[in-house]
Amino acid sequence: MATLKDISRRSFLASGAAAVAIPAVSLAAPILAGITTRALGLPAAKGPRAVIVGGGWAGLTLAKHLRSGKPEFDVVLVERSRIFHSFPLSNLWLANEVSLSFLSHSYIDAARNHDYVYVNTTALDADRERRRLYTSHGYVDYDYLILAPGIDYDYERTGLEDPEAIREVSYRYPGGFVSMSEIVAIKRKIWDFSGGVFALTVPNDNYRCMAAPYERACMAASIFKKRGVKAKVLLLDMNNAITVKRNGFTRAFEELFPEYIDYQSSSEIASIDPFNRVIATDFDEYPFDDAIIYPKIRASRLIENLGLMNPDAPQKTATIDTFKYHLLDNDRVYVIGDARSQAFSKSGNTAKTEALYIARLIAAHATGREIPWEGPQTMCFSAVRLEPLEAMSLIANYKYNEETDAFAFDKVHVIENWNEQIATAGKVWATEMYRDMFYA
Amino acid sequence: MRSFVVAIGVFFGVVASCQADTQELQDALGLVPDSENGAKVYGLCANCHKDDGWGHTDGTFPAIAGQHRKVIIKQLADIRSRNRDNPTMFPFSDPAVIGGAQSIADVAEYISRLPPNPAPGIGPGIGLEKAKEKYRLTCAGCHGPGGDGINDAFFPRLKGQHYEYAKTQLKWIRDGRRRNANWAMVVQLKGFTDEDISAIADYISRMPVE
Repeated sequence: MATLKDISRRSFLASGAAAVAIPAVSLAAPILAGITTRALGLPAAKGPRAVIVGGGWAGLTLAKHLRSGKPEFDVVLVERSRIFHSFPLSNLWLANEVSLSFLSHSYIDAARNHDYVYVNTTALDADRERRRLYTSHGYVDYDYLILAPGIDYDYERTGLEDPEAIREVSYRYPGGFVSMSEIVAIKRKIWDFSGGVFALTVPNDNYRCMAAPYERACMAASIFKKRGVKAKVLLLDMNNAITVKRNGFTRAFEELFPEYIDYQSSSEIASIDPFNRVIATDFDEYPFDDAIIYPKIRASRLIENLGLMNPDAPQKTATIDTFKYHLLDNDRVYVIGDARSQAFSKSGNTAKTEALYIARLIAAHATGREIPWEGPQTMCFSAVRLEPLEAMSLIANYKYNEETDAFAFDKVHVIENWNEQIATAGKVWATEMYRDMFYA
Repeated sequence: MRSFVVAIGVFFGVVASCQADTQELQDALGLVPDSENGAKVYGLCANCHKDDGWGHTDGTFPAIAGQHRKVIIKQLADIRSRNRDNPTMFPFSDPAVIGGAQSIADVAEYISRLPPNPAPGIGPGIGLEKAKEKYRLTCAGCHGPGGDGINDAFFPRLKGQHYEYAKTQLKWIRDGRRRNANWAMVVQLKGFTDEDISAIADYISRMPVE
């Protein structure tokens, strides 16, 4: 099958290098050929052009700081969503502790306040020799291409093979870590739940936002308790123990929700039957009435579509330089944020602090300099109860182990004696992050 | 000569602090501190800076015990007003979390009375002789030959600080990443290499704490 790249090469051959515009001819795919011969039509570049794919925490932060750094990059942010929704703190929205407008921010505000170009379109392919990105609205040429597309679910690694079953699971029991539509559906499910077993799954293999599934269990249990619903939160953890803030969450489950949370560790999912509502692990079968099924995850399919996927990587990531984040054979193409191959926590503060380093790194590259590696910082707040809202927190850094060629948590500071101050600090943190990405 | 350097340093310090003035800073400086409430406010700080205020040798959280009251007030007010970028501390120092100007005044009083760390984390011991001379020429004018600092000029006390923390902050000041730094200090540090800075931080961390 002809790829978009092949088609584009063919159409360029057809149109030749002549300055005269000749309509592209591609019998195979006239629509795609149109995309490959039409520029996005952006204002002239104000400096070296950095095209960023993905307006999450990494992409937004990088866009702002590349624009304001030295040299002043011309920044184009390619994002397929029309509005930004924050996943951090979305568990608090489930519990009505923050509003939807607290989580929602405008790409137009971000681009206007930080003087970069936001294009609401979908990245399709790239020609790395020509340094050209193709989108569903046309192409754009880059000096630097930074891919920050985030994650997709990997149901195939979570006991599901049949496409119909996968579709059913993703619609009926969405995981809530990829799109806001899932979270809206989850909120309705929790508030409408009439009783019985409400199953939540926790994936393994460095899933996005380690504490969030446990926090969500606490929020769901708090809501059921408040509503007086006779419900059991069945927390099926594919890990052999709680992965983060273990003492705090263990104590929260035991002290706050002894009647509501049933925690089961080492629950690797063997199969899911969405029609009869049964999750099977290697040891047991768990019938449920409703569920939030958070499957294992992988790097965004865009990485695979661009031909960058390392087939040996469990999360289908691209192979990038461990410290410089660019493709091994191309120092103009970078992969950052949750699609990265390094095993950093996949969370907002991590992506954001990483992007600050990437902004300095690319600015240095553009001026022929090198800068020392700086690891990201993970900062994470987890609510455990309502009325009053109380939370725990964690701050962690990373160190590199040469022998294993891997990163591990370093200098970890956890506050597990949950309290109201930490809950407020979490809201302050998020507000400050939104301010930096969209307004300041 | 030294008094001249001090005078210039104090002058620059005052200029710098005036430029960075916030209403909250002025308010907090003028309030009568309540050390008992300071101890309560410090409860949250202690999670990272520890109960004794000695911080961590790994440089993640500085030693603050015994720091000058006005220095602490200024740094807290600067972080809260975004005059100093400290995203790690920002959420934990917000007025909604620890209270307003009175809380800053109270906790600063409490911290300033904590006994300082007599044995902070030290560096690798490389180039200490050269660092001693560099410190005498460029740092001692404001921070004092023994690293005592000056409360009224907002010049921090340096002795008792961990090597790792001092090193990082000096680099950030040199590289313009600590925006509330005294600009005279930024100018002086410009020509310093990473090695120079490491040695000076090391020298500071070894200053005797009484």
